[in-house]
Amino acid sequence: MKPPEEGQVQKGPLKGIKRGETVLEARGITKRFPGVVANDQIYFEIKAGEIHAVLGENGAGKTTLMNILFGLYQPDEGEIFIGGKSVKFRSPLDAIDMGIGMVHQHRKLIPAHTVIENIILGHPSAGKILNINRAGDEINELCERYGFHVDLKAKVWQLSEGEKQVVEILKTLYRGAEVLILDEPTSALTPIETEKLLTSIEAMSKDELAIVPFITHKLPIVLAISDRVTVLRRGKVTARLDTKDATEKSLAMEMVGREVIFRIERTRVERGKPILQVENLSALSDKGVLALSGVSFSISEGEIFGIAGISGNGQRELVEVIAGLRNPEEGKVILDEIDITFSSSLERWQRGMGYIPCDRIDVGSIGDFSLVENTTMNYYFDDNYSRYGIVDYKKLRKLTEEIVSEYGVATPSPDTQAKTLSGGNLQKLILARVLSRKPRLVIADLPTQGLDVGATEFVRNKLVEAKKGKAGVLLISEDLDEILSLSDWVAPVYEGKLMDIIPGEKVKREIVGAMMAGLHLEGEET
Amino acid sequence: MWEFFVRSLDASTIFTLAALGELIGQRSGVLNVGIEGVMLFGATLGFIAAQSTGSYLLGFLVGIAIGGLLGLMHGFFSITLGVDQVVSGMGIWIMGFGLTTYIGNPYTGPLGMPRIPSILGLSPFFYLGIALVVITWFVLSKTSLGLRIRSVGENPSVAEVSGIDVAKTRYLCVTIGGMLMGLAGAVYSLDYNPVWNYNFLMGWGFIALALVFFSMWNPFILLSGSLLFGTLWQLSLNPQLVLPGVMSRYIWRMVPFAITLLVLLIMSTKWFRIKWGAAKPEALGQPYVKE
Repeated sequence: MKPPEEGQVQKGPLKGIKRGETVLEARGITKRFPGVVANDQIYFEIKAGEIHAVLGENGAGKTTLMNILFGLYQPDEGEIFIGGKSVKFRSPLDAIDMGIGMVHQHRKLIPAHTVIENIILGHPSAGKILNINRAGDEINELCERYGFHVDLKAKVWQLSEGEKQVVEILKTLYRGAEVLILDEPTSALTPIETEKLLTSIEAMSKDELAIVPFITHKLPIVLAISDRVTVLRRGKVTARLDTKDATEKSLAMEMVGREVIFRIERTRVERGKPILQVENLSALSDKGVLALSGVSFSISEGEIFGIAGISGNGQRELVEVIAGLRNPEEGKVILDEIDITFSSSLERWQRGMGYIPCDRIDVGSIGDFSLVENTTMNYYFDDNYSRYGIVDYKKLRKLTEEIVSEYGVATPSPDTQAKTLSGGNLQKLILARVLSRKPRLVIADLPTQGLDVGATEFVRNKLVEAKKGKAGVLLISEDLDEILSLSDWVAPVYEGKLMDIIPGEKVKREIVGAMMAGLHLEGEET
Repeated sequence: MWEFFVRSLDASTIFTLAALGELIGQRSGVLNVGIEGVMLFGATLGFIAAQSTGSYLLGFLVGIAIGGLLGLMHGFFSITLGVDQVVSGMGIWIMGFGLTTYIGNPYTGPLGMPRIPSILGLSPFFYLGIALVVITWFVLSKTSLGLRIRSVGENPSVAEVSGIDVAKTRYLCVTIGGMLMGLAGAVYSLDYNPVWNYNFLMGWGFIALALVFFSMWNPFILLSGSLLFGTLWQLSLNPQLVLPGVMSRYIWRMVPFAITLLVLLIMSTKWFRIKWGAAKPEALGQPYVKE
């Protein structure tokens, strides 16, 4: 067994590079997939100690570029230079050896293992017999240096999303990364966790590390931390500028190619009679622990009720109980004055409930089914479309054609398989099949998660339209801006409890942000 | 009574070896339900080799080798070809049952060799079994190789990104696992009950398979489970030794299987999973296809 080197960082080709020198350069990167040019002559460079954000909508070619820089794909044309030398990555391992670290948005961690085990997995100096204590000391040193806090002996499944991300960052640092690629680094974090992460990122950039965050829509984050921004649109670089010369508006323009309205004016709709009443609801999670306790609220006609919180604070259980997919431990769900607490989901849909699940691929649609069949899932119980158990596919095909064109779902034909649609188009289809039934109550669970700026705007407008049509909307979101701009009532949720229910016009951003993290700000009455 | 005790430990040893082989494979994410077939092969070919050469050593080596070979074959089907692991395992069982019946038929009858000497009154394989349990535990939880095996069984794509060769690790585990199953079979036919006859194993492999689930993938719980089932097995054969006159011997014969069923039933309830947080390898049974 070769004795591992002193200190945790391996000797990489980037050792000895000083602040301001270019560490990684990609020249003329082109990657074609059948039917699309995902990356078209992309130029990108990053210097040591720099935070250089890459900005772009879904489908702009960000993921492709990221995968090329990390060695998952090989470019068709173009070259990558590291420390001035041309390199070829055959696999992510090559990239890791060259000092490139990737923090994936979909966590690449093993939940059943401890934090330490995850960090040292595959590390060359792990040794034949694991020396957990020495590794622990070295990792703790990294934590102290950059201000990370995480229990190294905890199992990963016990951690919050923010902590898991910290583990991923530590794993790449421990592996000796000099260039850190962060995929949507703040998308699953609470405002407070985001704050901490940004501080740590700054500390790392002071240490000559080069940091490349890839970001879809959180423009304020880009403005807050980056030194430079490269904007991608349709596979091309449309702008590269110093952050100090950029504004939220100008970046959005470059990204989308047209002006984007950030604020949707909160339209006032006269409040009608209550549609949904939830009384003292409690429910268990899949793990058998109390995930929702004593939640009560009511939604009236023409209202959007926004539940603000980071995923995993009971939103899933709440939505499932209301949609009839999970039985509550106690409490009542009342829809239009009828107790539906233990009614079947089908009965709820028939009574006018519409459900937009957060997982549009696994719960919201069946990938191998055509768009017509996927639309049918919301119509098969409707007597106008199905008689004596026989589905009228002719009628449904016509309906699908109508909603596809009304909602602008980009697809060659309504008979295409749903899995060929992009995330935004699939969400539009799901939205369309739910809203076209003119539901009394719409449950929108993370309706814009992972969508680009254009599709997000569309979905939000449709929800507001539903509200104008006297529907009640239950909106679950992690995105504070979304909640604040749409909701008539804002309820921050933390560990299964609603912290408060605040009327939309009286909401203060910081207070909701703090409540999402379980804090009551001092001096505030609750 | 001492006799009963010794026979129980001997039976436990066979369960331990076979189930340990299965456990190693499962921790790397490969389920082998053909364990009974591998044991039949190891037992029959080991028996034939020992009888024709007069060498116990050769008998055991043949048992281990054929086990390893069948493990390798199961690996080829389930890792390289990505065949459903249950289908491949069932195939191995049926093949083992059919072929060994055919091959072994002319050898029906006792082995006719002097018994393997015991150490302190117990079969030497009992000590080997305990040593292997400790070694397996140590390798899985304290070494880099063990971390790699567990990672491959939990989430092969994460393991791959961390620089681990998923296929190689899984091949290693199913092959070693197969060798242990083959050895278990040879121990049965050469030491425990040195007589060849039609379908002599009668479900030992399936009990060993159930034991892995019972153990919650922990080698030490597996050892205690093996002791429990070894004792039950002996009790079912000779209930009059311990509990004379209680229940018909036909009901006793059924007890180990009934308890196996019960254990699997309890283990698959939601209540149990929540209460004990069963540590089933996440990727168990799933073929891994490289992106």
